Amino acid sequence: MNKRLIVKSILWAFASVGLVVAWARFSMGLGATTALTDDTPWGLWIAFDVMGGVALAAGGFVIAAAVYIFHLEKYSPILRPAVLTAFLGYTAVVIGLLFDLGLPWRIWHATIFWQHHSVLFEVAWCVMLYLTVLALEFAPVALEHPYLQWPILQRIHKLLKWLTVPLVITGIMLSTLHQSSLGSLFLIMPYRLHALWYTPIIPALFFVSAVGLGLMMVTLEAFASSWLFHHKIKTDLLAGLAKAASIVLYIYLAIRFVDLAVHSKLGYLFEGSWQSALFLFEISISALIPAVLLSFSKIRHRLDALFACSLMVVFGMVLNRLNVGIIAIEKSPGNVYFPTWMEISISLAIVSGAALVYIFCAENFRLFTDEKEEKKSIEKRQFEQPVFDAPSKVWLGDSLVQNISVFSIIVVSVISITAAMLPSKAISGYERDPVPVRKAVGWETIKIDGNRTGEFVLFNHKEHEQRLEKIHGEREGCLACHHASIPQDGPTGCYECHSDMHLSSNIFDHEFHQKALQGNQSCTQCHAEGQSKSRESSIACTECHQSMFQKIDTGKADYYIARSYMNAMHDLCIPCHQEQSQILGDENIPKCAFCHVHPPQTNEDRMQKKNVDAFPFSIQNGEN
Amino acid sequence: MPDLYELARGPLFRLSFLIMALGLLRLFLLSLFGIVQMVRRARDKNNSYGKILLTTASWMLPVHRLHRHIPLISFSSFLFHAGVIVVPLFLLDHIYLWQASIGIAWPGISRSVADVLTLLTLITGTLLLGFRIFSRSIRQNSGFVDYFLLIVLLLIFATGYIASRPYNPIPYQTVMLIHLLSAEVFLVLTPFTKIAHCILFPLIRLTSELAWKFPPDAGRNVTIQVHGEVKSI
Repeated sequence: MNKRLIVKSILWAFASVGLVVAWARFSMGLGATTALTDDTPWGLWIAFDVMGGVALAAGGFVIAAAVYIFHLEKYSPILRPAVLTAFLGYTAVVIGLLFDLGLPWRIWHATIFWQHHSVLFEVAWCVMLYLTVLALEFAPVALEHPYLQWPILQRIHKLLKWLTVPLVITGIMLSTLHQSSLGSLFLIMPYRLHALWYTPIIPALFFVSAVGLGLMMVTLEAFASSWLFHHKIKTDLLAGLAKAASIVLYIYLAIRFVDLAVHSKLGYLFEGSWQSALFLFEISISALIPAVLLSFSKIRHRLDALFACSLMVVFGMVLNRLNVGIIAIEKSPGNVYFPTWMEISISLAIVSGAALVYIFCAENFRLFTDEKEEKKSIEKRQFEQPVFDAPSKVWLGDSLVQNISVFSIIVVSVISITAAMLPSKAISGYERDPVPVRKAVGWETIKIDGNRTGEFVLFNHKEHEQRLEKIHGEREGCLACHHASIPQDGPTGCYECHSDMHLSSNIFDHEFHQKALQGNQSCTQCHAEGQSKSRESSIACTECHQSMFQKIDTGKADYYIARSYMNAMHDLCIPCHQEQSQILGDENIPKCAFCHVHPPQTNEDRMQKKNVDAFPFSIQNGEN
Repeated sequence: MPDLYELARGPLFRLSFLIMALGLLRLFLLSLFGIVQMVRRARDKNNSYGKILLTTASWMLPVHRLHRHIPLISFSSFLFHAGVIVVPLFLLDHIYLWQASIGIAWPGISRSVADVLTLLTLITGTLLLGFRIFSRSIRQNSGFVDYFLLIVLLLIFATGYIASRPYNPIPYQTVMLIHLLSAEVFLVLTPFTKIAHCILFPLIRLTSELAWKFPPDAGRNVTIQVHGEVKSI
């Protein structure tokens, strides 16, 4: 019991971390929480949770087929745990997918809006249907519980038992379809996936490897549950599974190497690159070593060897899915994907949640159908379970929920610590990286290129000056653009206040003013006394610096925050250009391409071409 | 220093506030759960809930019940509680911060009312601390935590008051840092110390009333615990 308490506590801790990160992911989005980019749109959640999860759940249909189709009754004791694992595995897949989808609330779209040219359409339908089948396959176990003995539920129970074999057959069909179709997804990227992993028969490889992995996963699970629930391990049963796994892994190896030979890719194996080393490592631990070891009957009957082999296969096959999904995919130079701790924590939390449900089912349902042991443990548990004593109207024994105070304190503390550790972008949302603005250079014609990308705009300052003087008058013409100046300065350049390309910037140096006015004796010189000290309660700049805002326009210095350089430029130029286009009757003046010309042009150039086209960008390219 | 200030404003505040909020919620739910268990197990299910409710309500106005021989204590304790509850929750500066961070605001009290309440809290808090130190009977019932929590609370209110004055000799950032850190210590300690009565007070009377109704087989369980098995008589 103590062992189980520790394991459950750790699982609760992982699940709580995931809870906080899930909040951040769903409220602030993928950009704020993941390392995913346009270059790497599929990351850990797809490769591990979806592709790995589906493969790990393959034990369900393999064992069901063995028991119901091939009548290998020997394996019936591990049928229920295998079906439960498959059910939880697929639930984890769906939850993992919800995290990865950009618009998760549209997950039902595949049911209504059919796109039968898409592989994902098949995957979506198979996962949905197989999840339903698994739920129906597992439901009879839950319906055996003494709390669920209502007549209507018992009728459903009977119906489901009668439907077992059709359900199992449907399950096998659906599994075959989409274990392989997860591989088919990669058929559309033959040049992105490394040659050692890409093959036109990748769907078949996915299916065969899933069968081997499923068998070994069931074995590993038997070890875990015997450790947690003190069962005796049936060695001959596991040895039987291992024999089957060994054969399947040999088949997998044969297909894989023959395929490499047929496509004359065997040379890549000894290329010496990290990909070839990774491939050799993956193939040896996922198939080669376990298959060879498990083909000896002596080794198959040793528990430590079985445990090591099953661990190797599970690790190796998950690595295979990670390789196909992330690692062996070509990326543009300099673009490295490594999942953030938040992505990893979500994956861990989903696995932990599934494990917690598994333990709950093992504690409350007849999961391990070994009659003798079951009876013993029921007798032992009788005093622990609450029993209603009808005559005295009293519940005897312990409560249903055990150790609630331990788990709740773990959840509370882990949630708080995780929330404190969240990076600021996961709390306030994704924000662009700051791009400091550089000064525009030139004299009569100014080159405006704030972020120095070379995509500059040539601005004829002199010509604008003359025009605006004509329109507004001599002084007002300057003020039309130079609306504010730094104290003691003439017309200040835009970049001094609008100092970031895309972000708003603070133009008030609080520390400087505080020092200049002798510390906090002087708060009330700017902040009204008796009010909260905030931007809102402070006086306007012009109350001290009369000449700072040449043109009084408080909207342009809203609480001492200057807009981004880009917004400031656009909002200054476009309204005036729109006005002038009305007056001059030239519809091109307010258009993007009037200023953003590639390659940049001076006004003289533009004037020479009488009819400025609406899209000089494309025309320029065409001429070149 | 500015880094420490940012740390105290951001991550440390989130940590302490969540520990306080979730910890109190956990305590409340666990107490409710315990009460349900007690009622399920007790044979005698006749509980005078009305009377318990009345007692609970009457403890909210403790002036006429507590310390009839030292009315000053009950009076200052009442004022102290009023200040401690109202000022942190309804101070406009705090509400602005909530509005800036999570976008929720509620009506607050004016600066002058807050100042008066803060001063009252500081005076009554000092009085209560004085009673704890100098009155023998109270000193005997006090532990380290009782002094510590009271001093931390006084520190929070004092630094908050100083920080909101425009004229004071201490740098604003230092005062605010002490204000933040002491408030965070207090928040973290809330669910683990007697301060938890801020959320548990509706259940305290109920729990102590119901806890005396033993389950019918309580005697048998005690016997098993003591002797290992039940001996037939």
